[in-house]
Amino acid sequence: MPRLRALVATAALLAAAGALLTGCSPASSGATTLTFRTWDENAAKAYRQSFAALHKKDPDLTVKVDVVPWADYFTKLRTDLAGGSADDLFWMNAQNYSEYAKNGALVDVDKALGTSAKKAWAPQVVDQFTQDGTLWGVPQTSDGGIAVYYNKELVQQAGLTEADIAKLTWSPDHGADDTLLKVAQKLTKDSNGKTADQPGFDADKTVQWGYSAAQDLQAIYLPFIGSNGGTFQKSDGTFTFTDPKTEQAFQYLVDLINEFHVAPSAADTNSDGDFTLNQFQQGKIALFQSGLYNLSNVADNVKFSWGVVSLPAGPAGAVSVTNGVSVVGNAKSTHQKQVAEVLKWLGSEKGNAYIGSSGANLPAVLDAQQVYFDHWKKAGVDVSPFFDVIDDKPTIPAPVGAHFSDASTAFKPYLDEVFLGRTSVKKGLEQAQKAANKAVTGGD
Amino acid sequence: MSRRSGRAGEALAGYAMLAPSLFGLLAFLAVPIGVVVWLSFQNWDLIAPLRPVGLANWRDVLTDPDFGHALLVTALFALMVVPVQTALALLLAVLLTRGLPGSALFRVIYVIPWVCAPLALGLVWKWIFAPSYGALNAVLGTHTAWLTEPALALPAIAAVTIWSQVGYVTLFFIAGLSQIPDHLLEAARVDGAGPVRVFFSITLPLLRPTMFFVLVTSVISAFQVFDTVYALTQGGPQGATDVVAYAIYHEAFTAFDLGHAAVMALVLFAVLVVVTLAQQLYFRRRISYEIG
Repeated sequence: MPRLRALVATAALLAAAGALLTGCSPASSGATTLTFRTWDENAAKAYRQSFAALHKKDPDLTVKVDVVPWADYFTKLRTDLAGGSADDLFWMNAQNYSEYAKNGALVDVDKALGTSAKKAWAPQVVDQFTQDGTLWGVPQTSDGGIAVYYNKELVQQAGLTEADIAKLTWSPDHGADDTLLKVAQKLTKDSNGKTADQPGFDADKTVQWGYSAAQDLQAIYLPFIGSNGGTFQKSDGTFTFTDPKTEQAFQYLVDLINEFHVAPSAADTNSDGDFTLNQFQQGKIALFQSGLYNLSNVADNVKFSWGVVSLPAGPAGAVSVTNGVSVVGNAKSTHQKQVAEVLKWLGSEKGNAYIGSSGANLPAVLDAQQVYFDHWKKAGVDVSPFFDVIDDKPTIPAPVGAHFSDASTAFKPYLDEVFLGRTSVKKGLEQAQKAANKAVTGGD
Repeated sequence: MSRRSGRAGEALAGYAMLAPSLFGLLAFLAVPIGVVVWLSFQNWDLIAPLRPVGLANWRDVLTDPDFGHALLVTALFALMVVPVQTALALLLAVLLTRGLPGSALFRVIYVIPWVCAPLALGLVWKWIFAPSYGALNAVLGTHTAWLTEPALALPAIAAVTIWSQVGYVTLFFIAGLSQIPDHLLEAARVDGAGPVRVFFSITLPLLRPTMFFVLVTSVISAFQVFDTVYALTQGGPQGATDVVAYAIYHEAFTAFDLGHAAVMALVLFAVLVVVTLAQQLYFRRRISYEIG
């Protein structure tokens, strides 16, 4: 019964309450040590190198790097900000920044670095972090688009060639052009060696899945919605789950899982966002749809030969989402001058290139991107499918809105049921939409 | 005069000796409770400035069917855990005080789960319960979604809780059993009572002080269950395991509505005070601490 979690929560609450009563510590002169927070272990290594280089340039300035795991990142950030113990600079994603910006928690980048600084950075990421004409973060990584990692050995064993999977298409009515389903069936096997398109296939004894359909916003359902010509949100941030095209896309995914059994059960994937990645790494999923953010994970941990092909195209083409991460400055930091200096450094080619050199992340500073491409070229990996899908092509917008995280918490339980096949897609999406929009409009 | 000042000095010395624990009580109990009461009248999302909202939080929470549901789930959970856990612990205690070979070893083994960090245990159980590749399904040869089937999730959490706490509760019963003088049991046996009769007529009544303590603490801890739910189900599926403590955490640190969370915490506090008082009333008339 030691309730560690509750204790931590209480401590955080107390720290937060304490901060209301006391002020912050005064700034000291001379040498300054700032802290920087990220959720990515790989990126942290690169930032340590980057800050060491900055320290050489300006010996008065030291920046320490903290890593807070993704699962707790935004909970901890929020309580730390309230408690006055947040870092001077931290990583931020596009889905969460606007609530912080709205409440004056972030440094205005236009003011700190000038309005022309953004010309050096990936425009999609700049757009994502711009609200009401103001830029709130210095872009650090750009996710490219979504593509499909595939296991060459499993594809071969199923008697397929790369040409069979290179340009997959899908359609909501499972017509002749639904090659994704057909290929996925051939790549799904039970313990008797029967594939999902053979009679007698036992879905309860699946040992290998063809495809990674799951409740994954960025890698799976947003691209499916986009590729079917559906929408996810209106520009005001309210949700459109009941858009008929959106509903079709969800129905298609749910059918892949529950009707055709070519993807793992939602009982496995709903609560474990890394289930499909892990199964792909273990050679149990043949086609793994994901983004550049998993490229290092795949390259470092996979023992079979693998490749990347483009995102399956739906009736509206192959429409991906693209996303980015920025570094933001803490507006409450007592060292605003130094915070601006670090932001400037991280927005420069030199400062940003470190996170590209290990191949873990694509730098968002345009001049720094070449190191990333060089890294993967040297490793023999063709990353072009991640970029072809967004270059001069329509994309579906990444989630937006000051209340997106609240809304996402509200709609997730309903999507859980939809993906489990326990609620009809139509009814579940209606419930999800209602809950999500209530969080946006009423969620004060 | 001197007597009075002497008494005042005595009182002062008394308070001085009390001071360390009194400080702890005030700083870590009274003040936080006061802060929570105050927060229950504010709107706070941890970023935007605090805004007093009067009774709005109380109105929202007390009329929220989800909160009623959470209380109900928690009560149901307590009903699943407390009787089984108590009976099992009593049985284990009786067996372990028989002086059978290996008893000392088993006492330690049963307490190990209680000593381990609940979150770590939760992760282990998550793996055991996993639908694909989970240990339980592998043993049973089934493909049951233990944690995502609404009818199974709460019993699964209850089972893990009982498993992890039963050894700890057993310790209290062992201590209680060792307090019962042998001559009473012998006298009963001489009078011709069988082992069952002895247990129900002599042992059980004399265990009442222990029983009271065990029931009060078990009910309180059942009402505060958090770690296991956090690690295994996060309140799902369909709210089937949305116990109050998890609902409070969720409201405060996922939905970032500290005011609502404060109200929920205070309601839980009130419920526990009432439940404990009721238990105390029940046992007060039935406990005899004097054993002849």
